[in-house]
Amino acid sequence: MTLPVKLSPIEHGFLRDLSASGSGWRAELREDLEARGLPHRRVEEWKWSDLKTALSRVESGQVPLTVSASREPDERRAPGDDDVMAGVMPRLAAALGGDASLYRLERQDDVLSLDIEANAGTGHTLIVVDVAPGISARLDERYAVTDASLANIAILVRLGSGARLERTIEQAGSDDGVLVVTSRIELGTEAGFKQTTLGFGARLARLETHVIHPGEGAKVSLAGSYLLSGKRHLDQTTLVHHTGPNGETRELFKGAAGDRARGVFQGKIAVDRAAQKTDAEMQHRGMLLSDGAEIDAKPELEIYADDVVCAHGNALGAIDDDALFYMRQRGMSETEARALLTESFLAEPLDAITDEVRRDDLLAKLRTALEALT
Amino acid sequence: MPAVKETIEDVKKLESDKYKYGFTTEIEQEYAPKGLDEDTVRFISAKKNEPDWMLDWRLDAYRRWTKMTEPDWAKVKYPPIDYQDAIYYAAPKTGAKYKSLDEVPKELLDTYEKLGIPLREAEVLLGVEGAEDKTAAEAREKPKVAVDAVFDSVSVATTFKAELKKAGVIFMSISEALQEYPELVRQYLGSVVPPTDNFFATLNSAVFSDGSFVYIPEGVRCPMELSTYFRMNAQGTGQFERTLIIADKGAYVSYLEGCTAPMRDEHQLHAAVVELVALDDSEIKYSTVQNWWPGDAEGKGGVYNFVTKRADCRGRNSKVSWTQVETGSAITWKYPSCVLRGDNSQGEFYSIAVTNGRQQADTGTKMIHLGKNTKSRIISKGISAGRSDQTYRGLVSIHKNATGARNFTQCDSLLIGDECGAHTVPYIEAKTPKAVLEHEATTSKLSEEQLFYARQRGLGEEAAVALLVNGFCREVIQELPMEFAVEAQSLLKVSLEGSVG
Repeated sequence: MTLPVKLSPIEHGFLRDLSASGSGWRAELREDLEARGLPHRRVEEWKWSDLKTALSRVESGQVPLTVSASREPDERRAPGDDDVMAGVMPRLAAALGGDASLYRLERQDDVLSLDIEANAGTGHTLIVVDVAPGISARLDERYAVTDASLANIAILVRLGSGARLERTIEQAGSDDGVLVVTSRIELGTEAGFKQTTLGFGARLARLETHVIHPGEGAKVSLAGSYLLSGKRHLDQTTLVHHTGPNGETRELFKGAAGDRARGVFQGKIAVDRAAQKTDAEMQHRGMLLSDGAEIDAKPELEIYADDVVCAHGNALGAIDDDALFYMRQRGMSETEARALLTESFLAEPLDAITDEVRRDDLLAKLRTALEALT
Repeated sequence: MPAVKETIEDVKKLESDKYKYGFTTEIEQEYAPKGLDEDTVRFISAKKNEPDWMLDWRLDAYRRWTKMTEPDWAKVKYPPIDYQDAIYYAAPKTGAKYKSLDEVPKELLDTYEKLGIPLREAEVLLGVEGAEDKTAAEAREKPKVAVDAVFDSVSVATTFKAELKKAGVIFMSISEALQEYPELVRQYLGSVVPPTDNFFATLNSAVFSDGSFVYIPEGVRCPMELSTYFRMNAQGTGQFERTLIIADKGAYVSYLEGCTAPMRDEHQLHAAVVELVALDDSEIKYSTVQNWWPGDAEGKGGVYNFVTKRADCRGRNSKVSWTQVETGSAITWKYPSCVLRGDNSQGEFYSIAVTNGRQQADTGTKMIHLGKNTKSRIISKGISAGRSDQTYRGLVSIHKNATGARNFTQCDSLLIGDECGAHTVPYIEAKTPKAVLEHEATTSKLSEEQLFYARQRGLGEEAAVALLVNGFCREVIQELPMEFAVEAQSLLKVSLEGSVG
């Protein structure tokens, strides 16, 4: 149904900021925004994350994001057509974020860390990371959005053939902020990409990752943990698109939602006809900690090749009463036992992080959040 | 891969002669004028001599339908349907109702005979009890199945009515039920699938022509299987049947549904609505073998099967089980669902869907858990071959008050050949920590090792594939009533014939 939508002040604000003269994707974005507005729950890909409503308390008007990077970008340039991903939010990030920051990771064991903060108005940015062929590098990101503000970030990562990138994302909890991070990862042949997320939710936070998987020995691993309290909302949406044969993908997402929080996992593995011998597996496990909490999941497979092994699993439930009973019998208080069980449940995806310091840092943050919850 | 090439060739060879139900019956028929407007709705209602409230109900639905848009979210592609280019009512001319089987024209009886539904035999076996020892003995051995035979827009015969009546079971066409039990129909019709539900259900509410009505009174276990056999015959018509089954407290019924259509070059629309109501402690088992004409290997012709099936487990401890074997139709859009309202109620969905040629199927189930300790189980087996596309689309939703709810879902897909697609789109929503949900899905191809093993033991290629596919579907076939299980197994074999090189 394409009924004309009533645009909110924030949508009017975006339209004002978009120059009317733009062509190509800029013109499409404008038309899209005018006709449909921002994503809301009637839009299939956003059915559990109503961005439009979540933004109702955010003041329109641009306030640049605070980006602290471990080093200066190698280049700043106007976003080219190749830098822009499809979708309203990443396009807005490209159109309204000013010059895109381009980082080139060219040395072995290069580490880039990005710390992005927002606390008022709406902020956008587009970041491009190129990883040179054959090297191993790291990308550590941290997002903190406080007060009623929106941070909208698009990240484009290109891995040369045989390159390895390990990416970690830490999303700090917030009651009022709205965060949208849309990333697109393009892998060269034989490349390896590993991503681990730890998220605590916000008024609405969406971490969306699209991976273009060429097959041919390339490997992708996506993992994530979330722990949500209050009325926080975290949406982790992933798409791994296998375009060539012999690719491998592993996904493991685990999360817990307490109070009146809501966790969303939408995972999709798409396998093209050419992507024979794809081996893909996706798991999501969610734990509900209290009566008002909710977890929604959509683990999706779209498969056009016959000689593949693809599987997905999803399990939702509560803490295992038997395990709780066992621990209490051993003299632990119920609170302690619950915390320990929840921690061990949520720590598993983080174990994949290779760098010990980063891993311990994230585990410690998980523990602190758990203590605050109990 | 030479096997792939062979597969393509074999699929091309898959001629329509594999579909043995593709014949047409030459019989004089009466039609509604082509097209759809309020007069069409009035025409159908008048033909059936319906009470005024029924006509108003239909007209309301029609007016609403004109303001609705066709859903486009399913993963199926078809050219726009011209709803004015179809005939919404077709019936054999000799009269819509036959008092007894003797009045039924021979052409019709022959048609059902050809389809393997011997209406006369069933009745005769019962009628001539003891007349001939042998026949009677056979009759006792063979489990009885009462059949309601629907030919295009009307029900032509219902067997074993008298015997069922003795048990208190009402089994008749919904047009008859509207005459004989209008209050019962009025109470339940549209209470599970309201006329406003969705585009196709609303269309059905406006123009439904016939279908079966079943009422099992309190405490009665229906003495035999009930079955409806749907046959589309007339050209350029759609079939819009409506089935309503009510199991009162403590009742049990097993109901079977079969469908076939002639081979035609044009597409035919089938938009049915099935409503099940299960009251306290009752159980309904609903099995379908859907074998509508799927179109030829190039996708010419075939039935568009846009069906809304829903069960309302209204009572405590009620149970509804959907079992479906889907092999036909050019396009399937169908999600038999259970609303688990009563505490401790249970819903089950067992499905085998086979697509070959150019078929497209978007099918699955919805389990809506509202009551406490409700349980649901979903086993879906999808087999895609040829150039077909198949999607499992399901929803499991656990509401806040559904404490102690439990769901287990398993969706497995099998791909045969590299030109087909298999997709899984499950939606899972949990709103209480006191529920447990598990979902598993796999997609794979027939194992070369298993095929090799079976062939080494002397089985031909196709027999080996049939054996493995049957094994893959075992959990669902087990749930089918005996006669259907046999039919389903042979259907699977026929549907996949020529799909493996």
